[in-house]
Amino acid sequence: MSVRPQTLIDAMGRTIVGQSGTVEALVLGLLANGHVLLEGPPGLAKTLACRALAAALGGEFKRIQFTPDLLPSDIVGTRIFDQHERAFSTVRGPIFANVVLADEINRAPAKVQSALLEAMQERQVTIGPQTHRLPDPFLVMATMNPLDSEGTYALPIAQMDRFLLKVDVGYPTREEELEILERFAVHETQPATAVATLDDVLAWREETHAVHVEPKLKHYIVELVAVTRERETTYIDHGASPRATLAIAHLARGKALLAGRDYVVPDDVRAVAPLALRHRIGFNFRVATEGIGTAALIERLIAAVPTP
Amino acid sequence: MARRGAVALALAFAALLGIAAGARAETLQRLTVTQLSLAADTATPHIEVPFHLIVTAHVRERIARLENVDLPILAEVEILGDQSATVRDASGTTYRETITVVAHHSGTIAIAPVTLDAIDARTGKPMRYSSAPLTLQVAGPGFASQAGSIAVGIARTLVALFALLLSLGALGAVVMLLARRAPARPLPLPPPPPEPPAPPPPPRSRADDLRDALATLRAEPGRGAALRVRSFVRRMVGASDAETLDDVLRTIHDDEPMRALLRALERASFTHDADLDAAVRDALAQLERMTA
Repeated sequence: MSVRPQTLIDAMGRTIVGQSGTVEALVLGLLANGHVLLEGPPGLAKTLACRALAAALGGEFKRIQFTPDLLPSDIVGTRIFDQHERAFSTVRGPIFANVVLADEINRAPAKVQSALLEAMQERQVTIGPQTHRLPDPFLVMATMNPLDSEGTYALPIAQMDRFLLKVDVGYPTREEELEILERFAVHETQPATAVATLDDVLAWREETHAVHVEPKLKHYIVELVAVTRERETTYIDHGASPRATLAIAHLARGKALLAGRDYVVPDDVRAVAPLALRHRIGFNFRVATEGIGTAALIERLIAAVPTP
Repeated sequence: MARRGAVALALAFAALLGIAAGARAETLQRLTVTQLSLAADTATPHIEVPFHLIVTAHVRERIARLENVDLPILAEVEILGDQSATVRDASGTTYRETITVVAHHSGTIAIAPVTLDAIDARTGKPMRYSSAPLTLQVAGPGFASQAGSIAVGIARTLVALFALLLSLGALGAVVMLLARRAPARPLPLPPPPPEPPAPPPPPRSRADDLRDALATLRAEPGRGAALRVRSFVRRMVGASDAETLDDVLRTIHDDEPMRALLRALERASFTHDADLDAAVRDALAQLERMTA
């Protein structure tokens, strides 16, 4: 196969300045066939990154802006009565796309979030009497803004668990911001050109699935998740679910493929563990009141497990 | 055996390196470990005379086999054989591994502890149990090769002792005669001659360690040996349990041969079976290059 997943990252890098972690995480989500949650303040190219990924894939991209008055039918579609045909016809919603951006997912009420999350899980939607398969590949990238919590509907952990990984999008460095200024002050943002096909994505997924994970590394993954239930209990009400175990394994395989390997090494596991754990751990109020960052706590948990 | 008593400190298994989840995540066996020891059947082995290293572990549970017992690299001795047995009885399970080895040079041999990773059945937390390390003093040529000369020496000593007794008898008679004329005065005893200090073992160089690693991997070109050599080389470069390869490589960025070796050992330790032979060959090649 001539096109490799790294090509996608390179193509997206031509559109987005910095944010290499975010870009890689999006591609990891694609390889591991999971959905991605991005959290970060406005203006950090979250939407642009999603657009760039869809453009680099040549797939169909849809954006849904979540608002308090959104209805489930606005996402999945509805049935309308055709006066001429004197019959109901189905109008598909924006969820029927390869890459769906659910912008500010926490601004819509629970029933709308549920409609999206069900579609994510089942990869099919039911409109009226008919069930429709969603396209393959199908990747949902949802964004959340942590700053304006007023008028939002926080996603419960059970719902967040359905996202394979969560990316905390941070501010760019001074150098990166200077480059943003140089690149985008005058010209419009250049969308990425298609460098891979949807068939390439399906082939990469097969390869990812075949990446070898040694039993020692499987035990390492299990311990990384188990430690979230046993340590730092002052700050953690409940640890990560077994879904986190699966997520780390899938993501580590993707990380190995990106590195050009067909086997996982401890570095792969440790690198992806925060992506799979951070939204699956129930931190309590002390984390906020004592000013301890969740990222630092997760680092402590990971460091507590010796590498194989 | 008395020498086994000398290494009885090994019986005190040092529980855990890291508490709770700090243990190395290599096992799911839930065990109540009551003993983990590393001993030798002699505290002073001789060059070229085989002796045995004995690993003993006892757990309260009755299990078919004990997993994740990690033996140290026996770099300073040659392994001649290895036998293990697992015995279950009312008190639990006893695992005993006997490794027959031989030393080819004299001096001090330091053998790293045996480790056992398990979930502590009492607390449910992962633990790393560790035996005490073992230090042996390898003496010169063995007793058997000197037996003839020792027999002759004993005969000569007996003759000399008989002559000495006769001399002492005569001397005693003279002293008794003198004692009747002069008051007794204690004779000062000559101080015992100081024993010459044992020569210190020659310091081991990095090349020595790498040669041992090479010998280990050559002797057993598989994943198990690759993992042991990987741990050994990681310790050589000062890596901690928490560090991954990337961390280690950052600390030795100017030592390209060692970086290449560590990468090769990482591959040999974690690659899939179809690639294992090639990966081990690569690791052997790196070791040969560094020890040439």
